Amino acid sequence: MKRMIAFVLAVLLVCCATVCVGAEDSNVTYHGQSGEFIFAPGSDDSPTDLFVNFKGVMPGDSLTQTVTVKNDKSRDVKVKIYLRSLGAQNDGKSPQFLSQLSLRVRKAQDNTMAYMFDAAADQSAQLTDWVELGTLYSGGEVNLEVILDVPTSLDNTYSQQIGYLDWQFKVEEFPTEPSDPDAPQTGDLPRILTVSLCATLSAAIVLILLLARRKKKQADAS
Amino acid sequence: MGKYKLKLAAIALVAIVMTFFAQETLAYYTTVGTATNVVTSGNIQFTIHETTKGGNPFPEEGVYVTPGQIVSKEVRVENSCAHPFYLRVKAVYGIDSKTLSAEDCFKLDIDPADWTLADGWYYYNRIVEPGETTPVFFSLVEMVGAKMDNAYLGKTLTLTVKAQAVQSQNNPVTDDDITTAVGWPQEE
Repeated sequence: MKRMIAFVLAVLLVCCATVCVGAEDSNVTYHGQSGEFIFAPGSDDSPTDLFVNFKGVMPGDSLTQTVTVKNDKSRDVKVKIYLRSLGAQNDGKSPQFLSQLSLRVRKAQDNTMAYMFDAAADQSAQLTDWVELGTLYSGGEVNLEVILDVPTSLDNTYSQQIGYLDWQFKVEEFPTEPSDPDAPQTGDLPRILTVSLCATLSAAIVLILLLARRKKKQADAS
Repeated sequence: MGKYKLKLAAIALVAIVMTFFAQETLAYYTTVGTATNVVTSGNIQFTIHETTKGGNPFPEEGVYVTPGQIVSKEVRVENSCAHPFYLRVKAVYGIDSKTLSAEDCFKLDIDPADWTLADGWYYYNRIVEPGETTPVFFSLVEMVGAKMDNAYLGKTLTLTVKAQAVQSQNNPVTDDDITTAVGWPQEE
């Protein structure tokens, strides 16, 4: 009986695992050691492809791709990460195909309906300029939810098409400070305050020295 | 006064050094990486298999027939793409004569349990899943003796199987009626 239960559980486990494989997440990792981004898993069409779930799309499909943007743990740095879209590659075919599809992008954590991008897939639209995704400490991550909608009106003209869409990620790197919180969202304020305080103090001291010098000169002259 | 100035100078120096450190904290390293994302669209593909009863391919050059003869010809359709689809099939008859008609010369054993006749097409009653092959559309072709008189002697008759498919994903039908699916290709 126990063996039977174990067998059933094993079968269920395999089934669950199989179901989970269906939708694959992709990752953008800022590798501090090399100072480069690593994109995974990629595809046969592009080694930096993040849209692994958007293959063989059919009219009426509404597909979701989760993209996890990470700051690697290998160096003790915090980074600000930005995203922008360059739109469809101008290869003659991509813009025409992608213009038929709708794309939406939002930060999964926000849990709101506000999208940082909501336009035809060939456009750069709201992501034409850099959009900050957040400040990430070592090991930190932010999840993007990308939703692709394929209209039911997409006809045979667009079967077996391929569209290339470029996204750029930018990172600004900062050393961590003791005042940084453990699991922060930002953390820039203490540093700015320190800098401002030091600059003000320096200016005040220099001013005092100048005044003192002038006073001495006046005293010497009289 | 000299001591006072010295102290002030020392404090100023410390402050300046602190400011430098603070500025170093502000200095940042910037890098940019580009991801080329790819979207591909799917398609619908199928393969028509025509074999004899033994599973051998039906002769491309055809067979000689006589009135009343029953020929073994099994026609199946295989889903050879990654998407499920609805399917409809029809037989088109022809003859190399301007005065004779091939209509009613053929009698096919089409199973209504699998195929429903509507609009001149036989609609397969279920969805064909990826990799699945349908049951036979027909397996036997009877050359109707009552129709084929001596005028048909030496003529070439043709039986062409045509098939069309439309995706079943995001394409619900009404009351399991496959004919209500959207997107059937226009008649040629």
